[in-house]
Amino acid sequence: MKEYIATFYSHYGAVCFKKNCGKLGLNAIIMPVPRNLSSSCGTCVKFQSREDQFPQINEELEKIAEICGNSYRTVYSAEE
Amino acid sequence: MKSEKTTIAAAGILIGLIAAMLVFFGNPANMGFCIACFLRDTAGALGLHSAGAVQYIRPEIIGLVLGACAVALATKEFRPRGGSAPVTRFILGVFVMIGCLMFLGCPFRMILRLAGGDGNAILGFVGFALGILAGVVFLKKGYTLKRSYKMPALEGQLYPFMQIVFLILLVVAPSFIHFSEAGAGPGALHASVAVSLAAGLIVGALAQRTRLCMVGGIRDAVLFREWKLLFGFLAIFVSALVVNLILGAVTGTAYFNPGFAGQPVAHTDGLWNALGMFLAGFGCVLLGGCPLRQLVLAGEGNTDSAVTVLGLMVGAAFAHNFGLASSAEGPTANGKIAVIIGIAVVAVVAVSNTVRRSDA
Repeated sequence: MKEYIATFYSHYGAVCFKKNCGKLGLNAIIMPVPRNLSSSCGTCVKFQSREDQFPQINEELEKIAEICGNSYRTVYSAEE
Repeated sequence: MKSEKTTIAAAGILIGLIAAMLVFFGNPANMGFCIACFLRDTAGALGLHSAGAVQYIRPEIIGLVLGACAVALATKEFRPRGGSAPVTRFILGVFVMIGCLMFLGCPFRMILRLAGGDGNAILGFVGFALGILAGVVFLKKGYTLKRSYKMPALEGQLYPFMQIVFLILLVVAPSFIHFSEAGAGPGALHASVAVSLAAGLIVGALAQRTRLCMVGGIRDAVLFREWKLLFGFLAIFVSALVVNLILGAVTGTAYFNPGFAGQPVAHTDGLWNALGMFLAGFGCVLLGGCPLRQLVLAGEGNTDSAVTVLGLMVGAAFAHNFGLASSAEGPTANGKIAVIIGIAVVAVVAVSNTVRRSDA
C-alpha cells in the first residue's frame, strides 16, 4: 500500500473524490492541503492505494502526489 | 506538521507586532492593518467615492500584494489562473465590503480591535464565526464556484503591476488623486510611506508563506478539526495585545482601552456589529478566504482574487456613495438595509452554487 495526496480545484472536488475512494474500499481522509505541497488553502484527500489504482479522475482533480517521507512525487497532474 | 504550526504562530506574532507598531508610527488607533478600511481609503483617493475623511492610497495594500508576489515568484508559486465565476466573486466582494463597513473593519482589524480592548469587536467576532459556520454548511453540502484555469502570465501580472502604478501615484501625488486633509479623519492618519510599505511587504511575504487567513482558521477547525491557521489568528491577537500594553507603559498613552463606548473608529450597536461581520464571514467562506488572503492570492497571480479585490473596492465606493458605511455614531438605515440585502444575496449565491451530492 502506498499513501497519496490528491489536490483539487475546489472543495467540492475533494468531497466527491473521497466518496469515490469509499466506493473502492480505499482508506481516505479529507484534510487541508499541506503547505509544502501547494500554496492554496484548499482541501485535499489523503488516501492509501496500490500503485496506479486511483478512483475515477474528475475535472476538479488538480494533482495526485505520492507521499515519500517528507517529500512528494507527482504521479498525476491535470492538463491545464 | 508541528513545524508548520510553529511557523504560523511565529508569523502571527510578528504580524501582530507590526500591526500594533503601525499605530505608534501614525496609523489610526486599532487600525495598524485593516484591509477593508485601506481598500476603502485607496478607492477614495482614486475618486471612486468622495468621503473626504477616508481618502489615501495605503502603501500597506501595495506592500501586501507585492510582498506576496515577490515570494511567490521566488518560490515558483506564482501561478496565473482564473475563470472561476469571476462575476459572482465580484458581487460577493462588494457585499463582504458592505458587511465590513457596517462593523468598521475587516476580520484582521477585528482582531486588532479586540487587542485594543474594543468590546464591540466581541459581538463582531460572534457574528463572524456564525457567518463562517453558515458558509461551512454549504461547503459540506457541495458548494463550489467551479475550478479555475491557467491564464497567460500577463493576466496574472496585471494586478501586482497596478500596485506599482498606485505607488507612483502616491509618491507623485498628482492633483487628481484625493488625500484626506489633516484632521479630516482616519484617512489623514498614517505612518510614513516607507514604514507602511515595508510593513505591507513583510506581512504579505509572511502571509504568502503561511497561507494565513482569518476565515480559514475557523473554517478548517470546524471542517477538519485542524487548528493551525487558527493559531496564526490567536498569535496576532496575543502579540498585538502585548505590544499595545508595552506601548502604553512606555509612552504614557493608552493603546489598550477596555470597554465599549468611545472606542476609536467603532460604534456600540452590537446587533449590527454582529450582522455586518456575519455577512463578511459568510461571504468570505464562499470566496475561499478573507480579504487579506484575497490580496495575497492576487499577488500570486490568482485573477479571481484580483476580481474579488476590485469588488471589495467597488463595495467601499458604494458604501460611502450610498450612505451605507457606519460611523462612530452608529450604523445608518441605508447600511442596515444593504446588510440584509447582502445576507440574502450571499445566501442565494450559496444555494444556487451548491451541487446536489446525487449529481456528483
